[in-house]
Amino acid sequence: MKVLVTGAGGFLGVHVVERLLAHGYTNIRCFLRDPGKTKRLIELSEQYVGAQLELCYGNLRSKADCAVAIADVSLIVHLAAGLKGAPAELFADSVVVSRNLLEALEARAVSPKKNTRIVLVSSFGVYGVVPLGRGARIDERSPLENHPELRDTYSHSKLRQEQLFRDYQIKDGFELVVLRPGVIYGPGGGAFSNRVGLQIGPVFLHMGGRNLLPLSYVVNCAEAIVLAAGHPDSAGQVYNVHDDDLPTASGYLRLYKRHVKRIHSIRLPYFVTRMLARSLESYHRSSQGQLPAIITRYKAAAAWGGNSFDNAKLHALGWRQLVATPDALAQTFQYLRQKETKG
Amino acid sequence: MSLKIAIIGCGKIADAHVEQIRRNRSAELCAVCDTEPIIAEQLAVRYTIPHCYSDVASMLSDMKPDVLHITTPPQSHLSLTRQAVAAGCHIFLEKPVALHHCDAEAIVSAVVAGGRKLAVNYWPRFETPALELHRLYESGVLGIPVHVESYTGYDFAGEFGLALRRDPEHWVHRLPGKLFQNMLDHVLNKITPFLIDPQPSIEAIAWSGEAGAAETCRSELLDELRVVIRGTQTSAYATFSAHARPVSQTLRVYGTKNTAYIDFAARTVVLERKQTFPSALGRLFPPFLVAKDYFGQGMNNVNSFWHSRFHYFEGMHRLVDEFYLSIERNAAPPIPYEEILRVSAMMERIFQQIYPEVRA
Repeated sequence: MKVLVTGAGGFLGVHVVERLLAHGYTNIRCFLRDPGKTKRLIELSEQYVGAQLELCYGNLRSKADCAVAIADVSLIVHLAAGLKGAPAELFADSVVVSRNLLEALEARAVSPKKNTRIVLVSSFGVYGVVPLGRGARIDERSPLENHPELRDTYSHSKLRQEQLFRDYQIKDGFELVVLRPGVIYGPGGGAFSNRVGLQIGPVFLHMGGRNLLPLSYVVNCAEAIVLAAGHPDSAGQVYNVHDDDLPTASGYLRLYKRHVKRIHSIRLPYFVTRMLARSLESYHRSSQGQLPAIITRYKAAAAWGGNSFDNAKLHALGWRQLVATPDALAQTFQYLRQKETKG
Repeated sequence: MSLKIAIIGCGKIADAHVEQIRRNRSAELCAVCDTEPIIAEQLAVRYTIPHCYSDVASMLSDMKPDVLHITTPPQSHLSLTRQAVAAGCHIFLEKPVALHHCDAEAIVSAVVAGGRKLAVNYWPRFETPALELHRLYESGVLGIPVHVESYTGYDFAGEFGLALRRDPEHWVHRLPGKLFQNMLDHVLNKITPFLIDPQPSIEAIAWSGEAGAAETCRSELLDELRVVIRGTQTSAYATFSAHARPVSQTLRVYGTKNTAYIDFAARTVVLERKQTFPSALGRLFPPFLVAKDYFGQGMNNVNSFWHSRFHYFEGMHRLVDEFYLSIERNAAPPIPYEEILRVSAMMERIFQQIYPEVRA
């Protein structure tokens, strides 16, 4: 079986390739945009005996590159997505590239229905948690967001991407497996998710407080993706991906300060965050957008709504956390500390 | 009367157009269009715009807009302008105007022949300090301009720069003047009001800053540009740099009476005056006088902020308002077409010097 991994040079991508090799997949096409990100992949091909890693460079915005990417593969792990930049860029890098990939699959001579499984790595951001109220437990049956325009652009683009895959799945009949990771972290990743708080100038506004952080250590996340990719029962299923022993946002921040560096943070209780959000919204409206409404009541409810999370369905598939959370945090903080030291 | 507005091209800069259109009380944004339906849809959803299209002919025919904002890459500007003018639209065009100077001339001709109006998004020219500079010049405070220095910085780590770096197929890479063609309007259109010559002499050099100045013209994407312009009365330096920090936009006009200095990022315009104090006092007082000027400018900015006139694209808001007003009152558009064409002609001459294939 030939596997395509899009975004293979990225933060999550190299770990997915490593887990694929560990699970016995040997014939892997690693599709990546930046030729400068191949070092770890080359190391993996040397580390695993029999590994046939085909490094394929291109941009999925190009339909021709998509056709090259999907040729001869029967399993596609689609990780490539826009993470930052202008909204149009995020949509181009997440949704347009997905559409291009799906169209290339449709145009392929071999019937995709019989031969192809697509594993889409989506996001927790697609859930519409606000109408559920504070403290709701989020699992795979939770409703999807009905007001993407009120959320951050990343969540909006991931929701649209998922809808696109479902539309094509109905039309073309390929097997679709969707994974929705929470906050993916680890060496090579960032320090803070918005769920902990926001850096505003020199001050870190800590809104997360006692909210649980749905962390997914990058190795554990990659393991979940590969497990679901190969499991016979996963077709048509959705899996939330996060680790077992989740820290709170304040616990994470405390550990960061202890192990990485001291930062000046101000703790904002939820009711203060709501008041601040209301003021920002009001000012944004009355000033016709002079300052961006970076926090709104809707976004606040989505990010800091006291939700709990359920990964029982992933466990039922046989997933086990490969790296325990204390070890994962220690490795991440060590990386972040080294990064800080290097400046 | 409410003007019906539509946008073709829903990329990054379209957000700024939507926001400025929505700030205008006499305009109604009725539809957006992009050949990529997903990109059109995302803009419409995020700003709750009632209609989105992937075919411009359908949009023009269904919506019959009074004004079309063209925010597509410049490769399509001429054909879209002709199509929109034929449908009765006035044109608000994103820079750069066109691929070549002859296309810019054709765009202006099409608009004039169709009895419509045209504005190009030279928004920094409509920022408060730029308008103040214009006032100083018109009132004779500066005297005759002797020399002008226009500087524009660029950040490859910013939203626009990242898009360019990530995508080797980005439309900017296919422009005859590449990165410079997308940026040089803003450098040159600040100089042209002070030049009386239709065709001043131009000398340009460019290089890739990452490779170093010695690698002149070798790199595919040059990102450092220096231009010396000489007219009969006024000379100018135009500088574009992707590596100098902080990234800024400044303009200095040396006049026979006084010199004015604009910082577009800080939104200040300060007059450097001839000293009248004798001897050492003439060296003692100037910093305090300049500090007083800056304090005054700072307070003006606070006032603008207080009255919600301190948006990032405030100049664009003003330009859009003036353009719509010129349509409603059938008055002259805010930027003379002759000036648009002069900028375009100068750009082409610069590209001919730094990219030999443009000459070919």
